[in-house]
Amino acid sequence: MHTRGLPLKKLGLVIGDWRDLERLFKYLKDSGYRIIGPKVDGNVIKLKELKSLREFPKQISDHQAPGYYRLEEGDFFRNGDDSPKKYLFPPKMEIFKVNRDLSISFREIEKVKIAFFGIKSCDTASITIMDKVLGERGDSFYKHFRKELFIVTENCIKPGENCFCSSMGTGPRVQSGFDISFTRIDGKILFEAGSERGVKILEKLKLPHANAKLKKKFIEVLEKAAEKAKANFEKRFLAEKLELAIESPIWKELAEKCLGCGNCTMVCPTCFCFDIYDEVFLDEYSKRVRYWDSCFTYKHAEVAGGHFRPELWARYRQWLLHKFSYWKRQFDMLGCVGCGRCITWCPVGIDIRKAVEKVLKWVDENVR
Amino acid sequence: MLGKEYEFKIGIIKKIREETYNVSTFHIEVEGLNGEVKPGQFNILYLFGGGEVPISISEIGRRRLAHTVRFTGTITNMFRELTVNDKIGVRGPYGNHWPIEEHQNEDILIIGGGIGIAPLKPIIQYVKEKRSKYGKLIILYGARTPKDLIFKSEFEEFRKIRDSELHLTVDRGDEKWKGNIGVVTTLIPPLKLNIENTVAFVCGPEIMMYYTVKDLVKKGIPETKIYISLERRMRCGIGLCGHCQIGPYFVCKDGPVFPYWKIKEYFGVKWI
Ligand code: SF4
Ligand code: SF4
Ligand code: FES
Repeated sequence: MHTRGLPLKKLGLVIGDWRDLERLFKYLKDSGYRIIGPKVDGNVIKLKELKSLREFPKQISDHQAPGYYRLEEGDFFRNGDDSPKKYLFPPKMEIFKVNRDLSISFREIEKVKIAFFGIKSCDTASITIMDKVLGERGDSFYKHFRKELFIVTENCIKPGENCFCSSMGTGPRVQSGFDISFTRIDGKILFEAGSERGVKILEKLKLPHANAKLKKKFIEVLEKAAEKAKANFEKRFLAEKLELAIESPIWKELAEKCLGCGNCTMVCPTCFCFDIYDEVFLDEYSKRVRYWDSCFTYKHAEVAGGHFRPELWARYRQWLLHKFSYWKRQFDMLGCVGCGRCITWCPVGIDIRKAVEKVLKWVDENVR
Repeated sequence: MLGKEYEFKIGIIKKIREETYNVSTFHIEVEGLNGEVKPGQFNILYLFGGGEVPISISEIGRRRLAHTVRFTGTITNMFRELTVNDKIGVRGPYGNHWPIEEHQNEDILIIGGGIGIAPLKPIIQYVKEKRSKYGKLIILYGARTPKDLIFKSEFEEFRKIRDSELHLTVDRGDEKWKGNIGVVTTLIPPLKLNIENTVAFVCGPEIMMYYTVKDLVKKGIPETKIYISLERRMRCGIGLCGHCQIGPYFVCKDGPVFPYWKIKEYFGVKWI
């Protein structure tokens, strides 16, 4: 049951239309939020600052398949290549400056007040994961960017080809970690609050409660969506089972086509590896710069005089087992939200769902 | 403050001792570190314009710490240029430590391979200071050639510690070498150990640790009383950057020291 969580939060579902969504947008904007939401940028829908809700690609659809992404006219879009991670954990950022005498000039970054508007439920779940992985473990920058975050999530009524949030338990209906959610149903917008703040704001909109018929429709639509966003495996015991293949020869086969480009880790909303290097300016000061790294790069596991994962198949195993197995023991959750980005943006179309299936099959056939 | 987790303290180099042609020990005076330094921990050292490297602590003083550096990478090679009174950045100490306090009254077996003897040295120092609290102290140390042996000037001191043994070996000898030839594991079978009451601390290249542990187990030492210290690429030292992982563990936080039974299921898996 992926609509677990019903009966609905405090306020229950309230009903409005596009103009009410605009009112919500305006309310947040007037409250000083910088609104970040989906917007067409070239040939991709990206998360960008929205000045008005008119920029929201309401009548655009994306067609996604392994290694494939195209925009077309339509009525519902999924995620693009970037994710909330970009704002909470920037791809490249100065940590501080070190002066020639080794004194440190720390940075002052103004208070950031971001509202994500219309991110999907998989991405909402990715923020909960980052809270644990980066926030709780003491990344001061993450905490700074995260602090005032407001999250408006759009429930996914039409998951795409590469989506499997339902199998990962993160969608298509948002369950937690959001302030307000909205769902496009029959030309109407159904709103729901996920936090006290959300309740207060929805109350201000003074919208009527949805009746039983509409609620039933809501459940039906999202149940259907949940059926669609499934992979051929269950989350239960997934971590434990996959690890049984740790010494399997299957990794070589799985990584055969892999280019080691690291696209998958860059587009993944939860991959958090980074490195820090020095950028020297005229020998006067040096910037300590943090940038995203990937377990697919050659140097990721290299040490002076040795290498822990010299071949690509070992790095592919690290990526997959980290997301689906180790993560569980590290953070008591899985590192994949089923957003499908790594499938869409892999230049050779490697499908992580298929990879997981193959590993499970290997375990079934070989471990006894 | 933003970025506080990466703040380093300024360390002043007080003494540099050349150990071999490519290894030197830097004695650094530094104050205000995160806390008391324990045997087995490491610091992250910063050189202006170069960057950071994790280096284990090879000697613990009240305000002075020694770091033994092998010049093999871009940044470690910059260490060659350092001279006394130069300043470098130091943050730490990081990681867990050899659980030496929990093994009082036991015989201590130390096995080091190559530069791996460096993070083990503070145990020797510790046992020496609290001599009556521990049983026998046995040190096995192997290097590639006699020229690669570090801490040579201290061997006499190690031998002088009451109830201690120091056994050296090299993979390849030279004209002057009269000691044992062979990998460090060749020193294990002849040892007379009080199996019931011995704890082993091992550090060196992975392959060396792998066979050492095997031989120790063969000799009867339980896996729960064998500790190894792992090397991984470490960039942040605080469990954030993801580089140092082995299976579910972050070596910089959950390690570098692991009781063998705990890491066993991953250690030895090829290219994990
Ligand atoms: S592993 Fe792939 S499907 Fe899972 S969260 Fe990352 S990008 Fe999305
Ligand atoms: S995106 Fe595809 S080719 Fe690139 S590293 Fe990931 S799995 Fe390999
Ligand atoms: S060194 Fe960064 S996580 Fe361990």
